[in-house]
Amino acid sequence: MRRRKKHFLFGVYDDFDKARDVVSELKMLDLKEMVVDNIELYSPIEHPEVEEILGEFHQPIQRFTFFGAITGAICAFLLVAGAAQAMFTVQPQGGKPVIPLPMDIVITYEGTIMFGVYSTIIAFLIYSGMPKRLKKYYTQKVSEDQIGIEVEVVAEKSDLVRAALEKCGAVEIREVTQ
Amino acid sequence: MTLKRMLENWSDLRKQDYYEDEPYMWGMSIDLNKCIGCGSCVTACYAENNLPVVGKERYSTGHSMHWMRIERYWEEPEGEADIDIKESEYPERGAHYTPMMCQQCNHAPCEPVCPVAATYHTPDGLNAQVYNRCVGSRYCGNNCPYKVRYFNFFDFFKDLPSPLEMQLNPDVSVRSKGVMEKCTFCVQRIRSAKDAAEDEGHRDYIEDGTFQTACQQTCPTEAIVFGNLKDEQSQVKQSWVSHEVELNHFEQDKSEDVRGYRVLEELNVEPCVMYLDRVRDTEV
Amino acid sequence: MSDYSMKDIEWAKINRDVLASLESPRKEFWIVLGVCLVLVLCGVAAEAYQYNEGLGVALMDRPHFWQLYISNFVFWIGMSHSGTLLSAILLLTQADWRKPIYRFAEAMTLFSILTAAIFPVIHLGRVWNMYWVLPYPNERTIWPNFRSPLLWDAAAITTYATSSILFLYVGMIPDLAICRDNAKGWRKKLYTALSIGWMGRASEWLAFRKTYVLLACFLVPLAVSVHSIVASDFAMSIMPDWHITSFPPYFVAGALYSGCAAIITLFVLLRYVFKFEAYMTTEIMDKTAKLTFAIAMVWNYLNLSEYASIWYSNDMFEKEVLMEKFFGPYHWVVWGMLLCATVAPFAMAFKKVRHNMWAMFWLSLVLQLGMWLERFQIVSPPLASNHEPWTWAVVWPGLVQLTITVASFGWFTMLFLIFCKVFPSVSMYEVKEMVFHRRKASSRTEMEDLNKVKDEMIKQEEGLS
Repeated sequence: MRRRKKHFLFGVYDDFDKARDVVSELKMLDLKEMVVDNIELYSPIEHPEVEEILGEFHQPIQRFTFFGAITGAICAFLLVAGAAQAMFTVQPQGGKPVIPLPMDIVITYEGTIMFGVYSTIIAFLIYSGMPKRLKKYYTQKVSEDQIGIEVEVVAEKSDLVRAALEKCGAVEIREVTQ
Repeated sequence: MTLKRMLENWSDLRKQDYYEDEPYMWGMSIDLNKCIGCGSCVTACYAENNLPVVGKERYSTGHSMHWMRIERYWEEPEGEADIDIKESEYPERGAHYTPMMCQQCNHAPCEPVCPVAATYHTPDGLNAQVYNRCVGSRYCGNNCPYKVRYFNFFDFFKDLPSPLEMQLNPDVSVRSKGVMEKCTFCVQRIRSAKDAAEDEGHRDYIEDGTFQTACQQTCPTEAIVFGNLKDEQSQVKQSWVSHEVELNHFEQDKSEDVRGYRVLEELNVEPCVMYLDRVRDTEV
Repeated sequence: MSDYSMKDIEWAKINRDVLASLESPRKEFWIVLGVCLVLVLCGVAAEAYQYNEGLGVALMDRPHFWQLYISNFVFWIGMSHSGTLLSAILLLTQADWRKPIYRFAEAMTLFSILTAAIFPVIHLGRVWNMYWVLPYPNERTIWPNFRSPLLWDAAAITTYATSSILFLYVGMIPDLAICRDNAKGWRKKLYTALSIGWMGRASEWLAFRKTYVLLACFLVPLAVSVHSIVASDFAMSIMPDWHITSFPPYFVAGALYSGCAAIITLFVLLRYVFKFEAYMTTEIMDKTAKLTFAIAMVWNYLNLSEYASIWYSNDMFEKEVLMEKFFGPYHWVVWGMLLCATVAPFAMAFKKVRHNMWAMFWLSLVLQLGMWLERFQIVSPPLASNHEPWTWAVVWPGLVQLTITVASFGWFTMLFLIFCKVFPSVSMYEVKEMVFHRRKASSRTEMEDLNKVKDEMIKQEEGLS
């Protein structure tokens, strides 16, 4: 079966407030005509309020962090305690027990943090969908000072969406089918 | 597998005194009353353990390698001095000698700090140094309160003139640069005595005086006594008992007229060498 | 309350200014880089000599088993602290003045940790066996000794170095995307690879922010633990004046102190060289200086309380070492430290000093000198007068150690210079955020002012009618 071709419109705006208007406009349009498949917002800086406009993103990164850290703690402790008694012979040192717990805490602590950090980074790559190739319609204006709105539309109704994008003062509109 | 073994032996591994039931713990007692500071123990140690003779220049820069050394302290007279100290080159009472070598501490501070576990405690109570494993971080040397660990700052044996390598002791290895070393209580003699005892069929018992350390053997006044501290009959144990010095104490509780003490005992390092204090005629 | 001084910078100008700092190095750049390279080569030569002859040529001896290498190690590890730690703390407390200065501070962290990591290696007696310290599986089940504070060091530094690199890198991804969009040639390839397809999509930004904050949460306790573990090298030993309970917090405070001083030095230099006056403003310097002053006072307190506790305990050995520190052969090191690190920071109590860039530059160098002397007086004098009077000896570091010390500064500077020309040393997107929020806040206050005027007019009108 052939994949259905996707049709994208990409509008560039010079203000976040305008972009916000566009998104609500598009949502209204979608309610009426069912033309919009997906909306994505491109911005040069972070706008935490974007979730209010686009809906919630499901990114449970902290869960990765939590379980990564716990794995790290267990692994580090087993490594340290295991190594202490797996040494060619068991080596008591300094009149202390072979497995000295207070000393093991230090390495366990470091292991917790190390695995926690690594699993956080892995989660980041998973949920941000990176690494990936740049999209064809990506413009460097977006990394400078403008806001981009990417809309995935039904090919036949793209004129409607284009009109809506233009109405809100788009600086530039790019259209790509892939 | 490792995990299983660890869980099975957990209580053992968490025990403070791991070698409690071993039959040996080597110890020493040195009588400072008998010591005349002649330095023959030092010479014997050089010969027995292949210690490099570093020469005057390197000695002065602190690179000497004497595992055993005679520390010389000048004794200040109590009360009025008979001779004016300023005029005399030496104080009136003469010097006080302390032969100092590795005290084979049971709570050795040098052991746990080694990053590669090159130093550890043997079942017979020695503080062992594995030359092959040592990477030379020198932490043990810093953490030794007696400063009796010696570091090979150079490849000293490269400087040994030609026929002299023939006089090296074949039982003892020659150390290369970058390795820490120290007194072993002549571990090569201990091992061969143990082997002999095993051949004779009594593995857990070596008769006192079967073998001697090099320094003990050479001491003209027999100031040094060496033996097994876990053997109640041994000379060294009896000396410890009669001078009321006990293991596992960092402050000895004893009567006034005994002379035994352990150097820097208050640091709780549990040294296995007891010294007998020198008594002066003025103090009697 | 908050200041809006930076609200009028255009975003495109931020891009232009920062990207300009990456372009065509001037002649002076190559000269400084060349000098650094020569220094590094001198250090390599010294190390080769020491490798062949043995550590004796460094003029260490018994009881001075440790010397400059260890004090340099502590110095560089300390310097690496403020960058990441301050950046993380200020991020979590949402202090927005961190934004123009955190990038180069984090780079400084990374490079000083790379410098510090050299020292324990060249300090080893048998460098060629250094991999024995790593816990790698082998058929003889020989493992390193995890009881040793040196192993904790290794673990802590590995964790800290990798986490700092990741923290720096993650925070730089949006900026790398900006570089990618504006670069040509080999730079384009480099930035394309490094920016891993960042396009600034909303999902990317949200995941990014979450990750960044989580990393910061890890880095604060991590950084604190790293320097307390370095302090454990000393505090876990039995040596008088090393075995001190207050050493871990004392080291952490000292690390932040010298690191802040280093941030100030680089702040002034970057501002001058790259003409970043619009971003690295006097207010930010003012705040950094105040922070440094506060940390200096914490360090002072811990230092003096250490003296006091030794004095009160009247422990024979420790008191001896303390007296030897002040009046013995190393006295000028200790007095020099007290002058540079205890007295000098009081200059920062004056606004005139805080607002004068070059005064702050020289002051920060004095503070760093003081902190370097502090590390030397931690390592050497206690070794010179230890438990065993017979071994007491005074030894000064030899030429080999001094050469390698100087070379380490060259190495750090070289890495930092290369970083400044390859990566943006000011965070563009965060400065934009700062400008955005300040602009919004200022328009809000303007609005409030207008509303007030309106209300008053309405009231007046009501009164009239």
